[in-house]
Amino acid sequence: MNDQPLRIRMTYAKLGNLRFIGHLDLQRLFERALRRTNLPLRYTQGFNPHLRLNLASALPLGFIGEAEQMDFWLDQEVSLEEISNRLCKSLPLELILKNLQVIDNQQPSLQASLLSSEYEVLLPADPDPQSLQDQISTLLTQAALPVQRRKKTVDMKNLILDWQLVKQAPQSLLKVSMKSTPAENGRPDELLELLGLDPADCQVTRTKLIFCEE
Amino acid sequence: MQTINVNLLEKILYHVEKPGRYVGGEHNQILKDWDSIRTHVCLVFPDIYDIGQPNLGLAILYDILNQQPDILAERAFAPWHDLEAQLRQNEIPIFSLESKHPIAQFDVIGFSLPYESLYTNALNVLDLAGIPLLSTERSAEHPLIIAGGQACYNPEPMADFIDAFVIGEGEEVILEVVRATEQLKQAGADRIALLQGLSRIPGVYVPSLYSVSYAQNGTISAFLPLESSVPAFVTKRIVAKLPPHPTRLIVPNIETVHDRLSIEIMRGCTRGCRFCHAGIVNRPVRERPVSEILQIIEDGLAATGYEEIGLLSLSSSDHTQILQLTKSVYEKFQNRKVFVSLPSLRIASFSVELMDELRDLRPGGGFTLAPEAASPRMQAIINKPLDNAIFEETVRTVFEHGWLSLKLYYMIGLPGETMEDVQAILDAGKRVLAIGRQIRGNRVRVHLSVGNFIPKPHTPFQWYPLNTTDELQAKLDLLKTGVHRTGLKLSYNIPGTTLLEAWLSRGDRRLGQVILRAWQLGAKFDAWGENDNLPFWHQAFSEIGLDPDFYAYRERALDEILPWDHIHTGVTKAFLRRDLEWSKLGKTRKDCREQCYACGILDSFGADRPISPLVYWGCP
Repeated sequence: MNDQPLRIRMTYAKLGNLRFIGHLDLQRLFERALRRTNLPLRYTQGFNPHLRLNLASALPLGFIGEAEQMDFWLDQEVSLEEISNRLCKSLPLELILKNLQVIDNQQPSLQASLLSSEYEVLLPADPDPQSLQDQISTLLTQAALPVQRRKKTVDMKNLILDWQLVKQAPQSLLKVSMKSTPAENGRPDELLELLGLDPADCQVTRTKLIFCEE
Repeated sequence: MQTINVNLLEKILYHVEKPGRYVGGEHNQILKDWDSIRTHVCLVFPDIYDIGQPNLGLAILYDILNQQPDILAERAFAPWHDLEAQLRQNEIPIFSLESKHPIAQFDVIGFSLPYESLYTNALNVLDLAGIPLLSTERSAEHPLIIAGGQACYNPEPMADFIDAFVIGEGEEVILEVVRATEQLKQAGADRIALLQGLSRIPGVYVPSLYSVSYAQNGTISAFLPLESSVPAFVTKRIVAKLPPHPTRLIVPNIETVHDRLSIEIMRGCTRGCRFCHAGIVNRPVRERPVSEILQIIEDGLAATGYEEIGLLSLSSSDHTQILQLTKSVYEKFQNRKVFVSLPSLRIASFSVELMDELRDLRPGGGFTLAPEAASPRMQAIINKPLDNAIFEETVRTVFEHGWLSLKLYYMIGLPGETMEDVQAILDAGKRVLAIGRQIRGNRVRVHLSVGNFIPKPHTPFQWYPLNTTDELQAKLDLLKTGVHRTGLKLSYNIPGTTLLEAWLSRGDRRLGQVILRAWQLGAKFDAWGENDNLPFWHQAFSEIGLDPDFYAYRERALDEILPWDHIHTGVTKAFLRRDLEWSKLGKTRKDCREQCYACGILDSFGADRPISPLVYWGCP
């Protein structure tokens, strides 16, 4: 076995019906899509070997991902072009390959270096943009924004890094940047609920993952 | 044609559990252009996606239909309670996963009915589609509703709801039905003419073309076709040679009950166990050659990326080339990071050797054996004789070859069973556990999985009554008390669910009213939970004025016209009667590959038997 496997970072979009596929299911879906490529994939050692792959961050059910990232490893050198050709044939229609790059094996994992995520939320036609603008501003003047997650309470205020409301008729677009570390992970659907909106009425897209600079 | 409101669907999917069940879009799904296709078929498996999608029969029909350029086949499953409530509230009709068309817009709806507990779900699907439930209330504007699957060997309980049943193996007849429907509709046939036309296809049963009369005591006095052009009985269809196996199988996006590449290596079984419905109705035995199976695995893995292969049959170790198969699978796929499961192994050390051939390809976990009965007397009655020395040697081999966990399948409620016979199950379990502990120590786990016997149509036991709920409960109590502090694990079925399955599998067409009423009262997903639906069924029986015990607990006379007598499996009633006599005498039969007992299958289908030596039939 090659001791210096080829680490490939893949950027992909997750769209359409696949929005409704959860994180664990997505992982299994990737395993099978990669197996279909017949590339020299790296497996974990041991009695029950698993395909070695590493997804940057779980995308909540129902969200579109435009630039999600994942690492996988190969036991032999294969050109990115060849990998791309094979992956394009084996991925389901609504998982779209955006980019491939080779990554140094020494670099930390995607999860460990992920800092934040940028989201775009297409809001329903009402309430009107101005009142929404006021509502968000008022909300963020509060000392804390406690949100209930199962048994623990998190402060939403700590998780929001930046926000902006872009008015465009008939709907408005809320751009929000939130923390995405294992310890502190912001969820735009929770912000929507604080605003009295049903996330099901909004279309949430994660547009970018921000990692710490090496 | 209009699809459902997909935007609205996507909105409600936020509020249901596992929305991935309802969206389709899986790898290898076939999505054709609706408007440019002539005939639209919706294949409905009326259970949730997680259970229905892995069904191989569904995959086979999907493949056959979609190979036709002018036919499209899409899928629909029963929605779970949460989505159903949302669909009803938002007035969205049930839809196909591929194109999201309401299923009422298809030309043909084909229900897969492998087990009886899906009957109320099938009604619920029709209702969610806005299609009248009763066949007589439908007109030419509605889709043709057909059904097939193992439960349809007694189609009578569903006769009011299904226009035409396909009896037996669907691979050839499905296209005949679809093509005939196209031609008849084009020729301007009305609904009656369409059904009459379909009834002329061998293997197709149109229940509305028959009349049933009942005697004073409730049994059937006559079952007759309404006109001379309609056949008096319908013989099942078979394929003489197993057709090419689908390999571009749909890979589910969410986890399902059997998440693997399933391959049918053999159809039918020659063992002749007297309780076994599948063993009778799937005769004759037909095998797939090893070379073909290896190619299917190769192509299937390439097309799906699955990490597990299931080699399926009713009795895997009886495949004539099974040792060569397991050796070749190991040689060919050992470096592919796949697991192979080989269920339904006979009790013999040979079976353990077979699993050994697969070495590191076999899935982790336990070994499973199915003695079904523990006492020699019961074993003779059911024609599954088991030499105790062979049993213990097999068990010993299982533990010696590395397994730590062994699951044993047994049945209770068998004809003539006494408490001593039930006690024998406990004794066997304890012996097996002792053997295991002697070899592998205290880590060994032995699991007794006990099912309740239901006398099934078309079997030698079809005349027997079901054990009453009290009888079954007493036997279960004995087992539950008996395993206490032994270290044995016990799992069992609730007698109420068994009762429901017995009514529905042994009923006549009057049960249609009961099914309809039970569904109206709220019965669906009848195999789920602690049979919460049972009160609905009792109420339905009482309102309709039928006695449930008549169907479950009555010993039927040997000369009685049984509700399913007009459905012929190829095995004659005379053979079943003879086998029942042998059972009462404690006489066993050999594997019928060694000796033909003239069950009738060769009289019915022998003429179709291929001459090629490459096509193996189990009959001598």
